[in-house]
Amino acid sequence: MTFLTVARKDLLLYVRDARFLATLGLFSAALVLILSVAFGPIFRDPAREAAATIWAALFFTGVLGLSRSQGLEGESGGSEALRLTGADPFALYLGKTLANVVLLSAVFLLLLPLTAVFFDVGSLKALPALLCVVGLALVGYSAWGTLFATLARGLQARELLLSVLLFPSLVPLWIGAVKLTHALWDGGTIEPVRDWIKVMAVMDVLGLALAAWLSESIQEAAE
Amino acid sequence: MNRNVPDWWLKGAPWLWRASLALVGVSLLTVAFRAPVEAVMGPVQKIFYIHMPSAIVTLLAFGITFAAGIAYLATKQWIWDALGAASCEVGLVFATVVMITGPLWARSAWNTWWTWEPRLTTFFILWILYAAYQVIRASIRSNSKRTISAIMGVVFFVNLPIVWKSVEWWRGSLHPRSATMTGEMRQVLLLSMLAWIVFFVAVLQHRLRLEWAREAAARDAAARDADPSAFQPGTPEARRA
Repeated sequence: MTFLTVARKDLLLYVRDARFLATLGLFSAALVLILSVAFGPIFRDPAREAAATIWAALFFTGVLGLSRSQGLEGESGGSEALRLTGADPFALYLGKTLANVVLLSAVFLLLLPLTAVFFDVGSLKALPALLCVVGLALVGYSAWGTLFATLARGLQARELLLSVLLFPSLVPLWIGAVKLTHALWDGGTIEPVRDWIKVMAVMDVLGLALAAWLSESIQEAAE
Repeated sequence: MNRNVPDWWLKGAPWLWRASLALVGVSLLTVAFRAPVEAVMGPVQKIFYIHMPSAIVTLLAFGITFAAGIAYLATKQWIWDALGAASCEVGLVFATVVMITGPLWARSAWNTWWTWEPRLTTFFILWILYAAYQVIRASIRSNSKRTISAIMGVVFFVNLPIVWKSVEWWRGSLHPRSATMTGEMRQVLLLSMLAWIVFFVAVLQHRLRLEWAREAAARDAAARDADPSAFQPGTPEARRA
């Protein structure tokens, strides 16, 4: 079983669960609305506030997605069935990570027009660079998030514990995403914050490398 | 496993405690009476002699948790889990000392208790993560407790180089990059470091003994559950269980 099969399985289950997708979309939209009201109605620095808002909304919504992706395995003996396929634990992890990246990218595409309208920011010219930043941030978020979510799978109050583990670990990624998005939406150059691309890339590689190293132990702990 | 720690450990522990307390006492006296008063900050600067050694001990303690985590994942021996958990707990106390003494120093040096500069922010994140380690470890009742703790010990260690290098990687850091001291100030700082490291080792071995006793009690309980009639605490049956 390859990681693509695992990702496809998870994505199919997401698509079939319209209630989960609706909850995810509504929760993220509500977060953008609440934060735009908190910063507004007159914005001091719309590009900065919009960047903070969209990433805060995305990171908080991501916890629901990560938790759901592990919850899928708890239902109807899913984790047992996956283990019986003899799949490599790292392939399972990669598949789940990929599914989370796709899910969060969809949420981002929903939040982007909302944020652009509420804060009156963004331009089509900046879109390709912004999508690269989103890619870097979401790969890192999903790599670390899937690692922690698998670890917390069998624990009580796993959503709470997941948040406690995830948010502090991801601070460098979050700061980088906000700073780069702000620079892009501000219309200026990203030169002063270019170093954050390296920080985010290191976080991505580190998350995946740790998962590759520890995937068997993590799988064992989650059973 | 033996029900009690080895004899050399039992005999050596009181000596280690005496040495560590004497060293801490002498170092505090030297800080108070021997270390020169710094020209700009005055006596408040002496907090540094507690702050920096505590930070070093914190890094040492979390480093031990990291190494013990790797050793546990490789060998599955309970002692590595016990060492990692004990070191993390003691390290968190020292990290808390750093979090308290830092703002006291900053108030005098920077005219603010707290500022979101890289070293302070990354150290605060570190503190939250290792506090989360304690909460999560305490909340796990299943057999996976040790594996999860070991993985956390390894994964959280990634933040230590970030804390260490943060003042170089991020621009605009207020935090001193290194302590450049000479003469008596340097001697007092080195003595303080030695004293707090020895004190850490003394507390760590004591905490590890508690884990040892807890493990022995758990094995006794398992042996009792397996065969209540044949069980007596400390018997070979208990040791074999």
